[in-house]
Amino acid sequence: MSPPKKPESLPKNPDSGKEYTPKAGHDKSPETGKDNSNIAETGCLLHQSEPAEEDGKITKMIILGPSAKISNTELVRNLHMMEFPLTIKTTCYGAAISGEKEDVDEVIKRIRKLDPYNIFIKDRGFPLGDPRRCRAKRGGAREGFHQLEKEFELLDDVSKALKNPRKVKVKKVEKISPEEFKKIARECK
Amino acid sequence: MKIAIFPPNSMILADLVERRGHEPLVMQRQIRKKVTSAEIDSPPLNITTKEPIEGLKYAAIEVPSGVRGRMALFGPLIEEADAAIIMEDAPFGFGCVGCARTNELCMFNIRKRNIPVLEVTYPTSSEETMELVNKINEFLDGLEDKNG
Repeated sequence: MSPPKKPESLPKNPDSGKEYTPKAGHDKSPETGKDNSNIAETGCLLHQSEPAEEDGKITKMIILGPSAKISNTELVRNLHMMEFPLTIKTTCYGAAISGEKEDVDEVIKRIRKLDPYNIFIKDRGFPLGDPRRCRAKRGGAREGFHQLEKEFELLDDVSKALKNPRKVKVKKVEKISPEEFKKIARECK
Repeated sequence: MKIAIFPPNSMILADLVERRGHEPLVMQRQIRKKVTSAEIDSPPLNITTKEPIEGLKYAAIEVPSGVRGRMALFGPLIEEADAAIIMEDAPFGFGCVGCARTNELCMFNIRKRNIPVLEVTYPTSSEETMELVNKINEFLDGLEDKNG
């Protein structure tokens, strides 16, 4: 059997004689010049994962608000008429499109003009028809659908607010003083 | 400007940010990276053992792996942001944000970054929704002014 490996000792500070402890945010150790960017604030060694392959394709969902002037069919027909190399899918909320980022962005820009206040866009992580998410394969609603359903309830008011913008004052959240915090803590007792 | 939104999968927030010419940092972008890499091939394994290890950058080892796994996805978005919009009290079933502890950690990390942050609550009425939209637009326009 081979003997157990000795743990590597950290470099010592020549003045204090203490071991150098790497801290988060220090990319290089002052003593050794070693790269410490893989050490977290919590002191743990971070695993660096390989970046995912990027093929440049993105998927976006086009959601028609409750007061939209166009229907799903009209929306999809317009998308086809633009003749961009995209995958287009009709859905109950509008349409989903997938393709190269430049093409998708251009189509989104043009399609918004059809009904600027009632067309909403959302990014989608999974590609269209992905068997891990597509309800044709899985059955039942897709995971993100329930959230979309919840937000859909607000879309009418959102479009009203977009149509009639009003000036409002945005309050800046500020930190409270320790005295004030102590006062609150005392009141909560 | 790159705007982090919370909940990171909110359609309304992402859409409003995009309308004002900014880039919303959304969860779906992170998910896309994960699901288009070759190694994940079977449902429902979106998260592999690598993520809880990557999450160590944001939370200690004692923190549940679910929180660390989520932070491995949320964390890079927060780090990349130039400004942020936080919508508190979003419905519990709001997609991937069903973990209250992760939400707290995310909000803490956003506030710790000292970037302009707008904090609003999830609207429950028509009036509140309109107020929310106007506040967000005002905040985003203000950022543009600062940016020149």
